[in-house]
Amino acid sequence: MSQQNISADAQPNVKYNQVGKSLTRTDAPGKAAGRTPYAGDYVMPGMLHMRVVRADIASAKLTRLDVTKARALPGVVCILTADDVAGREAATDIPGQTGQKRMDTDQQILVHERVKYYGEPIALIAAESRDVANAALELVEFDLEPIPGVYDPEEAMKPGSPIVQGIDNIVAEHKIRKGDPEKALAEADLVIENTFHTPFQEHAFLEPEVGLAWTDENEVVNIRVSTQVIEHFRAIADAIGVPHNKVRIRGALVGGGFGGKEDVTVEIYLALMAKATGRPVRLEYTREDSFVGHGKRHPFKLTYKTGVTRDGRITGMDVYILADSGAYVFLSPYVLLYGAVAAPGPYKVENLNVYAQAVATNNMFTSAFRGFGGMQACAAYEQQMDEVAKALDMDPIEFRRRNYLKTGEAISTGFVPPSAIWTEECVDKAWAALGEPTVSSDHIKIGQGIAAYQQSYGRLTFLHDTSECWVGVEMDGTVIVRSGVTDIGAGQISALGQIAVEVLGVTLENVVIYNSDSAVTPLAGTTTATRALYMTGNAAKMAAEAVRERLSERAAREFDVQVDQIHMAFNVVSVIDNPDKSMAFVDLVKICASEGIHRSELSMFRAPFSDYLNPETGQGQAHPDYVYGAQAIEVAVDTDTGEVEVLKSIAAHDIGQCINKAAVEGQIEGGTQNGQGYALSEEMLYEEGKLVTPSFSEYLMPTSMDMPKVQTILLESRSGLGPFGSKGIGEPALTPVAPAIANAVANAIGVRIFELPITPERIIKALKEKQAAN
Amino acid sequence: MPVEYELDIPQSLDEALNALASDNGSSVTPLAGGTNLIIDIRSRRERPARVVGLDYVSELRAIDCTSERVTIGSRTTVTDLLDSAEIAKAAPSLVDAARVFAGHMVRNAATVGGNIACGSPAADLVPPLMSLDAEVTLSSKSGSRTVALADYFTGYKQDVRNADELITQVAWDRLPEHSVNTFRKLGRRKGDAITVTGVALTVVVEDGVCQRARIALGSVGPTVFRARQAEALLEGKVLSNELFDAAARKAASESSPIDDVRASAEYRLHTIETLTRRLLTQAWARLA
Repeated sequence: MSQQNISADAQPNVKYNQVGKSLTRTDAPGKAAGRTPYAGDYVMPGMLHMRVVRADIASAKLTRLDVTKARALPGVVCILTADDVAGREAATDIPGQTGQKRMDTDQQILVHERVKYYGEPIALIAAESRDVANAALELVEFDLEPIPGVYDPEEAMKPGSPIVQGIDNIVAEHKIRKGDPEKALAEADLVIENTFHTPFQEHAFLEPEVGLAWTDENEVVNIRVSTQVIEHFRAIADAIGVPHNKVRIRGALVGGGFGGKEDVTVEIYLALMAKATGRPVRLEYTREDSFVGHGKRHPFKLTYKTGVTRDGRITGMDVYILADSGAYVFLSPYVLLYGAVAAPGPYKVENLNVYAQAVATNNMFTSAFRGFGGMQACAAYEQQMDEVAKALDMDPIEFRRRNYLKTGEAISTGFVPPSAIWTEECVDKAWAALGEPTVSSDHIKIGQGIAAYQQSYGRLTFLHDTSECWVGVEMDGTVIVRSGVTDIGAGQISALGQIAVEVLGVTLENVVIYNSDSAVTPLAGTTTATRALYMTGNAAKMAAEAVRERLSERAAREFDVQVDQIHMAFNVVSVIDNPDKSMAFVDLVKICASEGIHRSELSMFRAPFSDYLNPETGQGQAHPDYVYGAQAIEVAVDTDTGEVEVLKSIAAHDIGQCINKAAVEGQIEGGTQNGQGYALSEEMLYEEGKLVTPSFSEYLMPTSMDMPKVQTILLESRSGLGPFGSKGIGEPALTPVAPAIANAVANAIGVRIFELPITPERIIKALKEKQAAN
Repeated sequence: MPVEYELDIPQSLDEALNALASDNGSSVTPLAGGTNLIIDIRSRRERPARVVGLDYVSELRAIDCTSERVTIGSRTTVTDLLDSAEIAKAAPSLVDAARVFAGHMVRNAATVGGNIACGSPAADLVPPLMSLDAEVTLSSKSGSRTVALADYFTGYKQDVRNADELITQVAWDRLPEHSVNTFRKLGRRKGDAITVTGVALTVVVEDGVCQRARIALGSVGPTVFRARQAEALLEGKVLSNELFDAAARKAASESSPIDDVRASAEYRLHTIETLTRRLLTQAWARLA
């Protein structure tokens, strides 16, 4: 769609029959009735039960490992240690289909000698029962000799610091430069500098990591596993030393991912054990395992220098980002890149310098988490926008208005997003919906805050992302969709169905979707990066359109009209403006079947491909496109106790086009909860790399008691690159929530807390400091 | 993973007391709702050799309110408290606490006796019961005795209960008319939170003079305790804001909180003071 056609007052689309409606998702009835099996529900005869032995010191040397007693326990079948996987490593680089790989990103599968983080796996146990596996866990003897570790990225960069990765612990660096930022800052009327800190975050999916593996009659290792990425089968095959076609991942509907099931979790352990024992093996993480078993969100330190004119125009910006990558690299370079690209936010900054570093420490490794660096940047730039507005004595929304990036303008990398940039529309609608503030009382202060954002959808374009989907029509007119896409609870597969039936003119009840089998369903790529709808949705649409075209041609012949006169909707094929000429969809299908007209299609959608960004200036294309929107928040702060209550939460996003409206709203409500926890209560506290908040009684997500009613405002510019002009909402739903809350709190109490989460304790401390300063 | 233990499931109070007596050792543990104990056994903080499950000792699950006295059986659940119209009238602070006690599923299982017996300074029912001058009945095969709840705890997770004794009930005299009894829990979130600081308050006023003041504090010492010096500042006085400030400061000075993952000692002291002052001010407004 050309940008000239983007209307500022687009209304929810009425011309579609299936798309855009809040239809009951295809996965909903089974889940509601408890019929849907998750990966953990699968069992096999003769199945063994696994446990993982983990290091209990973050930085140490393994000086002794003795599994004799554990092996001798009746019922223990196999124990694997590093000796059993000698010479093999696990790839931790970006998953998927591109064949690209960075150096030095592999991880030891089991500790050979050096422990680098608390919880690092040392041995794998398989036993006849869960109880025996648990008992054997206690009998594995090992000695760890502590080695001085480093737990702070700034310390890790100092000369003489313990080395965790590479030669200097710096695992990634990115630069973005345009204009003349030094000159712009020197000549600015005002330069505001602030440093913001964002914390670790746990994905806390309802379903911990779990899988079942077995070797089949073709010597293929099959793994039924809870994952966002079935295409890890290649890395798993490499790790266990078999050809890629000898590992098959059969996904299941996933009980939450959020990026935490983007990397390999239990798959390699399962595959190794299935191969070693020749028996089916099952491994289910306890919640305690899960807390130390997958990478967390990167803590960021972000220093912003913003130069402005007196009348509130940003003249230049300098940003330094420091990310804690933890003990292994995993996706840190990419998370960092997202942060760097997003650094100026949805604002026009002609003179920009961004320098970003990710540094290894002996903390828990960090990797993908919904928002993927872009949301950490938003947490900082939106608080900075409020601070600059305050310094200018200007209304924060008016200050933003003078600096919004507009449709057709270039982002930080010089790339012009092809779609609408409706930041202003979203901010204004969200703010208007917030309404007048609730009245403050004695010790309860009310505050309101806004945050806008820019968040990519689709993977980094230099990864050359593709996705496949197959659509076919059965002889009775029912539809089958096949795609490798994993469904992590957001309705990814149901959306494919909704797209296919829209195109084919049938209804959602008539579709069955087969998904997430790496050997049988066409490979669709990862369910990450807000890409499933964009990528696989387009592939589904292409496939359905190809089928429709052939059916329409046949119908046109039948009715003796041109193909473009054929209308297909609600299982009826008719001629536009001539309702006398019509037939049931199933009758057309039967004609096609008898005449050998091909009723199915396999399509591949390719995202825009680009080269890597210019390494010195960061200029070029990083992502296919971006989503824009805003969150408005009202809070009540108890100045006696520091408690924050979120009273109102309004989310306004330009999602391009809803495919399933209820699913979009669900994503936004969930993202709001996710962001509220990040802003206010979720804390992963580490002592020398050891997690001291390893359960849900200490790691505090907002409960239903803590959540306000979330109001969603959906704008549909129909300008996105996804099917029907859609964009994406998975990550964007979360991105602006925390800074909007932080801005509301600062508005309430008149002082800013520069570190998330904004705990009651930090509020009281800030209020006391403010009082002392006055 | 849990340690192994023997499980007795007595069918009556007599059987339960026999089961507790038969071991004369210290490693027998009564099990009521299990919302603390099972978790502690699983994480090996508790390693009992024998567990006496009280599921079928139904005589301990009872609420009895007369015009003079309130008696609650130890096996009464937190949800039972919330379902009782009489408790709502007789013990507002206990209802305040029950409402914010963990989450719904835990409230269905957790019991009054268990909450006392676990000995945690963060046990939410204990400050309200202490503010009501509740007495605890301890029963064993050889008889029963009664101790004031305020004297029940002797140190962190230490109490006066002998190994063969079971908490069978808590009871107290009903408050007079001109009184206020409230509880405020400060947690890190509204649902399913462990207490950071808790304050229970009883104020009885006659002819404008404070006849009785009870301030029971949770999570700011090794046990729940009464801030007796703060109470003494109030009793016998005509209440005023100045007095509330002094009592609140005194309550904080009587506290000895620690730093933990939920909050610092400093924050706890601050909030004990602000919450005590707020509860006193609100109570005074209601009595005036």
